[in-house]
Order: sequence, then structure tokens, then C-alpha cells
Amino acid sequence: MHLLQVGAGSGGMPVLDMVCRDARVDIVTLIEPDVYKAHNVERHLFPSSAVGRSKGQLAEEWLKARRPDLEVRVFAYNMLDAAAQADIEEAAAQADIGVCAADNEPAKFHFDALMRRARKPWTLGEVLSGGIGGFVHWFVPDGPCYGCVASHLQREVKVAEEKLPDYSQPGGPAPEVTIPAGKASIQTIASLHALVTLGLVEHGQAYQPGFTSLLFTMQRVADIFDEAFRPYRFRIPRSQTCLICRESSASSARQLTAEEVDVALDQALARLGDA
Amino acid sequence: MGLLDSEAGKRRLLSVEIPVIERYNEGRDPAYRVQLVRLGGTLILRYGLKPAHNVYQLETRLVSSYPMVPPETRVLTPLKHCPHLLEGQTLCLWRQGSTRATSRWDPSQFTCVFAIQAAWRWLACYEIWHEVGEWPVPEAK
Repeated sequence: MHLLQVGAGSGGMPVLDMVCRDARVDIVTLIEPDVYKAHNVERHLFPSSAVGRSKGQLAEEWLKARRPDLEVRVFAYNMLDAAAQADIEEAAAQADIGVCAADNEPAKFHFDALMRRARKPWTLGEVLSGGIGGFVHWFVPDGPCYGCVASHLQREVKVAEEKLPDYSQPGGPAPEVTIPAGKASIQTIASLHALVTLGLVEHGQAYQPGFTSLLFTMQRVADIFDEAFRPYRFRIPRSQTCLICRESSASSARQLTAEEVDVALDQALARLGDA
Repeated sequence: MGLLDSEAGKRRLLSVEIPVIERYNEGRDPAYRVQLVRLGGTLILRYGLKPAHNVYQLETRLVSSYPMVPPETRVLTPLKHCPHLLEGQTLCLWRQGSTRATSRWDPSQFTCVFAIQAAWRWLACYEIWHEVGEWPVPEAK
């Protein structure tokens, strides 16, 4: 089985480690452009002596030390880099399953689009700031996309009261958002992420754990989580109005060739005033 | 890798953004229609809004990573220094991935016309603030 993973940071590396210990995984393609830095040591599997080296290379050595038979391919690219897209598309086409451990929204949306085009299942783990909890999501072709899930969780699910501290702004005014997630919290969500990924390895698209997204709380936080160590299981449907994944009936853009798209776009921009 | 230089970005423009801009412009006074300007990897929407007494000229930038990151809207017409206004007269509207309902940009539900509507609402608040000295939307405080 061929695994395509983006990210080997403090959250991605333990997932990669746990999933690749399964003998069914025999090829890994890892997309990781970063260098291991001193501030990573506290939360990472790698030692301080590795500071300054490429995370991708370190990950490869880590895996090969435990699975010498594993084929590891490392792409030291930023996943959003235009020059890398042909290689990344090819890797997605060859992969059987994807793991997203990216820490920014554009990369998550990009990985989602990549895996939907390749029609491959994939998983995503997210640790909330302060390590107060985290999410694990899994995706299959024709199921909800990351846009459907992110939109549903942000706008409809209430696991807490209104007026939440803004956990997307570390360093913000609420004290708890200034505390980064600790290794134990990251490792907990990474373990759940690995378990869900291994469930997909085992069952493929027939995987039915009873949820599409799992939220696991790890701390009781006033007005946010009433209890620590409580799972919330969400079955999130594909949104009929999602602008990310819906098939557009209003436009034939999806049937156009690349050249026709360029021509149609130039015409539309000219119509709307672009000189 | 973005809106104007990737296949996915161009298809999003053609199937989502341009149709909603054309619908927005349909039947609208030419002074208030959206015009598009391409600037490198960024697409700029230029338009006028009149939320109450005054007409404002604005531009909304769809940066290369749009719609995954929110559009940036700035008012070209000079404003008085006021709350929720950032450097360059950029409106403080959204934060990527925010957990606050009013601060969220949702790329699966919002289009660039939503950004225009948000700018209209912001300007309406500005005019009230200008008169009474208090920003009228409590959740924005």
C-alpha cells in the first residue's frame, strides 16, 4: 500500500511513525519542505542534535531504522508550489491513501482537492491551540470535502457556548490561546489520527467508524468544553451548496479543456473590465 | 499556485466567482458595477457603494490563494480614523480559520460578492459611528 503524507511536523511525524509500522504500508511519499529547528525539539520525535537538518530526510531515516523494507520518497517541496504540482499529482495518482498533517488552511484545501481529483481516501488531524482538544476527519471520494466539513463544524455544531476565545489567533488576548499544544496533546490526537488512517487501510472505502469527524476534548475549558476527555462524533453530510466540491450545474467550466478555460477566462475578464 | 495560474483557480473563477459578479452587475447603475482588474496573480474588484449618504470607492483583492484565504477589501475614499480599520484603509472583516462566528471566512459558502456585501455593512456601521461615535455592531467589539 502506498501512503501519501503531507507534513512531518510534531503532529505528522507520530502519525507517519504509527501508520508505517503496519506491514501493509510498503511505500511512503512524504511532502515536507521544512528544516528541523530548535523550537521543534520540545514536541518532536527527533533529537536536538538533528536541528538544522531537513525534516523529510530525518523522517526517512526514522522510518528506515524501523522498517528497512519500506520505500520512502521525500519531496522537499511546499505543497502549494506551482513547480511541484506535476510530481504531487503523480504521487496522488499512485497512492492508495493520503494523510494530511499540514497546519494551514490553504494546504488542507489543496490536499483535499488533490485527493478528490485522484479519487483516493485521506485523513486529517487538527490539534486545537493550547492542546485543549483536537479533531480527526476522514474523507472518501464523493463524500463531504474539507470545505463541507470545515463549514459544518464552524457554523452549525455547537459544542460550547457563544463568545469563544479565538483559538485561531495564538498570542491573542485570551490566556489559553497563548499556550501552544504540548507533546502529550499532540501525540493523543496523532494516535487517534493514526487509528482512523489504519481503519481506512484495513477497510478502504467501506470503512464505517460511525463518524466522519471526531472531536476529542482533553481539557475542561470554561465556556468551551464542559468536560475533559470526551469524544464528540459528527456525521457530516456532503453539502449540496458547497462551492468547493459541488458539481456546477450553472456552468460548463468543468467540461472545458485547459485551453478553453484560458480563453473563456480572458473573455470573461475583458467583459468585466480587465484591459 | 493560485487563482489565476492554476487550473483549479481558473475553474473556480469561471464557475463560481464570475457568474456571481455578472449577476451582481445585472441591471445595476454603471457607477456601482464591479470591474475586474488583473494584477499579477491577484484579481482586483473595483466598485462603488452607497450604504447611506455617501458614495465610497472600494477595491477587493482576491489574492493568489483565494478562496482559501479571505479577500482583502480596502476603501479608496479617504475615511476618518475609526474602529475596525487597518493600515491602508483595509477593512477588518475576517480572520482565517477563526472560531468566532462573525470572524470566519468560509470558502465553501462565500463568494467575492459576499465580501462586497460585508463591505457595504461595514460602511453602514462607519456612517453610524461617524454620527454617534459608537460602532453599532456589538459582536464586532
